[in-house]
Amino acid sequence: MFEYALSVMIFLPILAGLALFLFPFSGGASRITGFIVSIVVLFLGIELFLGFSGTGAMEYVESRAWIESLGIRYSLGVDGISLLVLMAGSILFPMVFTVFTTRTKGYYANLLIIQGAMIGAICATDMVLFYIFWEIMLLPVFFMIGIYGGPNRLPATLKITLYTISGSLLMLAGIVYVAVSYHDQFGKWTFDIVELSNLQLGGGMAVLAFFMFMIAFAIKIPLFPFHTWLPDAYTEAPSSTTFVLSAIMAKIGVYGVIRFVVPVFEIELARFAILLSLAGVVGMMYCGLAAIAQKDMKRMLAFSSASHMGIIALGVFCMNVQALTGCLFQIAAHATSTGVLFLFIGLMEERMQTRNIADFGGIAYRAPIFATFFAIAMLASVGLPGTSGFIGEFLIILGAIKFSGFIGFLAGTSLIVGVCYMLWMFQRVFFEKPGEGTEKFKDLTIPEALTFLPVILLIIGMGIFPQPFLKKIEPTAQLHIAEVSVMTKTVLADNALPIALDTLQKN
Amino acid sequence: MNDFLSLLPLLIISSGAIILMLLAAFEKSRLETASYLSMGFFAVAFFVQLLVGCGPTIVIFNNVFNGMLAASNFTQAASLIILACGFFTAMTTHSYFKVNHFSSLEFYAIMMFGACGMLLLTLSQELITSFIALEIMSLAIYVLVGYNRSNVKAAEAVLKYLMLGAFAGAFFTMGTALIYGGVKSTKFVEIGAFCAANSATAPLILGGTFFIFVALLFKAAAFPFHAWVVDVYDGASTPVTGFMATALKTAIFTVFANFLAQNSGLHGSWVTFLFYISVLTMFGGNLIAIGQSNLKRMLAASGIVHSGYLLIALVAISTEHFTGSVIAYYLAAYAAGTLGMFAALAYLGGEGEKRCTFDDFKGLAKVRPYSAAAITVFLLSMAGIPPTAGFMGKFYVITSAIAADHMALAILGIVSSILSMWYYLRLIINMYFHKTEDTFETKESVFATACTFILVFCVFAIGIYPIVI
Repeated sequence: MFEYALSVMIFLPILAGLALFLFPFSGGASRITGFIVSIVVLFLGIELFLGFSGTGAMEYVESRAWIESLGIRYSLGVDGISLLVLMAGSILFPMVFTVFTTRTKGYYANLLIIQGAMIGAICATDMVLFYIFWEIMLLPVFFMIGIYGGPNRLPATLKITLYTISGSLLMLAGIVYVAVSYHDQFGKWTFDIVELSNLQLGGGMAVLAFFMFMIAFAIKIPLFPFHTWLPDAYTEAPSSTTFVLSAIMAKIGVYGVIRFVVPVFEIELARFAILLSLAGVVGMMYCGLAAIAQKDMKRMLAFSSASHMGIIALGVFCMNVQALTGCLFQIAAHATSTGVLFLFIGLMEERMQTRNIADFGGIAYRAPIFATFFAIAMLASVGLPGTSGFIGEFLIILGAIKFSGFIGFLAGTSLIVGVCYMLWMFQRVFFEKPGEGTEKFKDLTIPEALTFLPVILLIIGMGIFPQPFLKKIEPTAQLHIAEVSVMTKTVLADNALPIALDTLQKN
Repeated sequence: MNDFLSLLPLLIISSGAIILMLLAAFEKSRLETASYLSMGFFAVAFFVQLLVGCGPTIVIFNNVFNGMLAASNFTQAASLIILACGFFTAMTTHSYFKVNHFSSLEFYAIMMFGACGMLLLTLSQELITSFIALEIMSLAIYVLVGYNRSNVKAAEAVLKYLMLGAFAGAFFTMGTALIYGGVKSTKFVEIGAFCAANSATAPLILGGTFFIFVALLFKAAAFPFHAWVVDVYDGASTPVTGFMATALKTAIFTVFANFLAQNSGLHGSWVTFLFYISVLTMFGGNLIAIGQSNLKRMLAASGIVHSGYLLIALVAISTEHFTGSVIAYYLAAYAAGTLGMFAALAYLGGEGEKRCTFDDFKGLAKVRPYSAAAITVFLLSMAGIPPTAGFMGKFYVITSAIAADHMALAILGIVSSILSMWYYLRLIINMYFHKTEDTFETKESVFATACTFILVFCVFAIGIYPIVI
């Protein structure tokens, strides 16, 4: 029955979304359709998770020839790397349809298409297929921000679109270069990532192609200094879109690095690992400091999200099992916590018509359940032990120290910045004396509370009992790191510099 | 018999053109009947072409025509595109002429004569035949461009196009003469053989090829012979512009590819030249397009950019195993998007093409969501965003460039498509993100909308249809 589960998870939302566009549905009917579809996807996702055996190889594989002359296949699969990202993409979506109840049909239709495209990008094991989904998922975001966004939505839309499209078009050249090199070395065309990882690349062109990939992913993550589109886009986007962008789409950027860059460009990655991890750490620090200064809650959270993406990305660049496992775990953990926080802010904005931190105050007295939920999500986001955020960040920092003491130290320190802005914001919004509007602040209604409860429980559950999750991702992480050739490993252990010289001499 | 079958589409179209001309002479038929008839002829020819199988290369009527014409999978694909373009243009004009009253019955006959020239051009394997076909095509197009005699812009356009086109034709003959002087033959195959045996850089060959390139690049709207494009496309009536932008370009690039593919020596010595031409075409076109506020002018300039991408494919063609599939695929993808765009503009433009700028289409999505969605699909295809045909076309072009070791060209192509996002997105933004200022009342026939939506379907269908490289 679950033979085609992945295809269903991809195309059911996309087709439902297109159907909503084509036929005259009302807003309410569209919301219910969206909700039902996302519940089906959620159900399939959970079945998939439970049935996932965690051997480290691809499971639920679907593979069909598509463009045979170039070896492009319609191939899907899930392994430990994609599992938790996939979970984030399937579990969190129903919330959007229950929380935001009064939108038009286009709003829900776009969200469904985003979901299908994102799941497609997560499951695709063929580079061209991945690229197609990767681009498709941007289109609905473009329309969501442009049509339903805030007052300054036009520049924000243009910024995010031009930024990401430039990145991904460059990646397209990189993808083609990799396939052409494979064709030169092995005499056949393929875009399958498992086969492409056998490729030995070297020389200036490989570095160029590596940067083409990295820039595309760095923009999506976003990695410092490619983060400048993020504050505007996150702030101007409607809350559901910000949620999608931060909780899942940004993670697909990191996932892309792990899935496509690490196996193919192991040597180039090793050469530039220090540089990239510095970009991650600097991004963390910089966005964290910027978050402290924000007056708008959504903007603050946008910076916070960028800051946390820095540490997740760092987990990839360290290239050891601990950091990679931590990174994969943190992807899911951060998706749940930040995703929920953005939805909460969407709710607060709907109730108060403002996002200004100074306008709030004393919400905890009016809305205790809301405040508790918010607090749990927030604490998970800053990485308090006992919540999901702790496990991942701990593992990443462990790996980072193993990789380089200096980087590890910086990463550890910048976490403190995160605690600063989050707690300070929490204090100003939820405690202190009530502001004008907060007197009438309604607590979560029962349907809303029931919507958020599973995710809040998941946050705590992942924090206290992470083993079921780690068990599923660790074999793949080990396999993935082991595949990175022995040479690269020794190089990493020494430093990145000698290999650079070595490669230079060879060329 | 097989030879005859390969020529059948051409024969159908030419006899159709003559029949329409006769009908017009007797003044017995109505304009609508003429458009149905031409749609019918194009459709029949299309299906005949589809059914006629072609091997890698078949020389048609070797004895009678002395090897001047040859059909292959590539020419078959090209003529399918041209016939489809003719069919959709006939559909578009059907409703266009309901609100713009300047047409007469001969319009369709002339359009079909133009299509004849294009079909002949795809088949030709020899310079003089190419010249004759080129002129048949061009003469018809000149008339079509200036069809609206009361319109000053059309008169200006036709004058420009006619003068410059005549120059291009003269260059072509000059080039043919020089090459004949060097090779003692005008057949592509024998030119190739001569270049392989001797040098491709002998003065006569070099000069001759240069002149032929000038003519072809002029017709293909490539840098530095692109200056006419914007004015001519703007001045011609919208369906004619669509026909010019797609069918004509298909024919030119087919003969261009046929010419280069037969001459590996020639291709090798001109590759650098074509490299720079394609880069300049892409960026020149982009610079022009970014500054436009009129949609037809923007589309004209974007047509220049697409010629640049096609030139990339020409640079990268392999002369040993030439199939032309990348070029044919790109042309099909481009034709679907562009024709669709012009079809939509033709009926949305209204009487006298009064809606023609970016600003005129503000808020279209709220009033006519389906038309806006269709335009969005066409624009995305032209911009090369998956899952549309335009993306796959660009993907194949880039793949062929990188496989032919032209990484720089591939990257420049990509940079150019990043630049082009600006003007494609601009229209989408105007249609979706702005308030409605117009009621967009139009009097289109069902054909116009049907044509638009069939083309939307084509954009997706071509996008998932695999090709053989």
